[in-house]
Amino acid sequence: MSVKGAVKAWNQFFFAPVSPLPIAVFRILFALLVIADLVLLSPDWLAWFGQDGWVSMATVRKLEPGVRINLFALMPAGDLWPEVLFWVFLAFALFLLMGFMTRASSIAVFICLASIQQRNPYIIHPGDTFMRVAGFFLMFAPAGAAFSLDRLIRIRRGREGPEIAPRSPWAQRMIQFELAFAYLTACWWKTMGSDWVDGTAVYYVWHLDQFRRFPIPAFLQSMIAVRIESWLTMSIEFSLGVFVWFKELRYAVLLLGLLLHLSIEYSMNVPLFEWALLSAYVLFIDPDDLQRAMRWVRARFRMRAAAVPQSE
Amino acid sequence: MFAPEPMKVNGYVEALITYNDGEIHKWKFPRMEELGYTQRYFKERYRKFANEYVRMDSFAAIRPDVARRIARLNNHDPSNPPAVVLLVWYSSQIAPPGPDGSYRSTPLRANVLFTYFVKPGDLE
Repeated sequence: MSVKGAVKAWNQFFFAPVSPLPIAVFRILFALLVIADLVLLSPDWLAWFGQDGWVSMATVRKLEPGVRINLFALMPAGDLWPEVLFWVFLAFALFLLMGFMTRASSIAVFICLASIQQRNPYIIHPGDTFMRVAGFFLMFAPAGAAFSLDRLIRIRRGREGPEIAPRSPWAQRMIQFELAFAYLTACWWKTMGSDWVDGTAVYYVWHLDQFRRFPIPAFLQSMIAVRIESWLTMSIEFSLGVFVWFKELRYAVLLLGLLLHLSIEYSMNVPLFEWALLSAYVLFIDPDDLQRAMRWVRARFRMRAAAVPQSE
Repeated sequence: MFAPEPMKVNGYVEALITYNDGEIHKWKFPRMEELGYTQRYFKERYRKFANEYVRMDSFAAIRPDVARRIARLNNHDPSNPPAVVLLVWYSSQIAPPGPDGSYRSTPLRANVLFTYFVKPGDLE
């Protein structure tokens, strides 16, 4: 490939307009996850982020120096403002879900998300970090171009027709890269230790009481099974980092990733981590396939709705 | 997650609070294995905080804040306030698997992570 060809392919990949349906669906999933996170955090909100919380602002500043996006650092003393932030955060997350003032809502959600992660970085897991980075790129994406109140308002005002215009996908591509890179580095990092390479890693994971969730069948805990599970985990992570970019392999790889995450969700208690990563899978789905799937779902709903009066 | 190696330890952090009159009271962070499925989902961040940060010497700087908050949470009687807070890490190593994958662990051990002498201003 010539340099000119490479530049053209780069521009095509990042900037040639594509359907914004996947990023709009991702926006909805992202907002749902943020809302779920807020619900889970709500009983302990002030314990984590309040003035007399588990870790003081002064200690966080000392341990994590430098310039940070952290609204808590600007707040006056007291617990009133941290509480206000919770409700403002929730309101903008709901706006983002509905696609109302989408750009402003995505900016507000990102700033709030970054703030709580900087206020208390000792409670966050890799799924939170993924959400923060994805939230950053979402601010630049045409996330309100479909399935949004913003679009309905634009149509009503005659500024947009029934067709959804294609948009530049560079921000979507960045989130896709973020996901693939996360898997690839997870796999790479595992090769640095001996347990994943010799296949005993999952034995230790199965026996971490603090993570345990639903019971794991005995046959999955035999040494042969443990080795297969350890190596399969690395293989799937590698595939999600590399083979997911090949159209012919994409759906098979995503299906393997889905099964991996669902099995972790079943066996381990790491709230929202699996769903955070899975939410970005939608960005790899071909917009035509996504539209077909949605037409199918809509048709099923219509059939069900039509069947209700007949059966009564 | 769990890279480059998975954790090989089961454990939990507890606090021993000594009151002015010498009485000792035990306080613990929520332990996931003792909670129901729903509560576990809500309280998981306590596991992260206690087991992955409070107990790590590289994050020892957060222990005074933690001890102060525990003292405040356990300050029920103004005439008998908490005087000393001890943070203790109880742990049991997960030994390498037997040839058939059987589970083996070491006995539970207690390590005092931190001793904090509560100052009057801490309880306000």
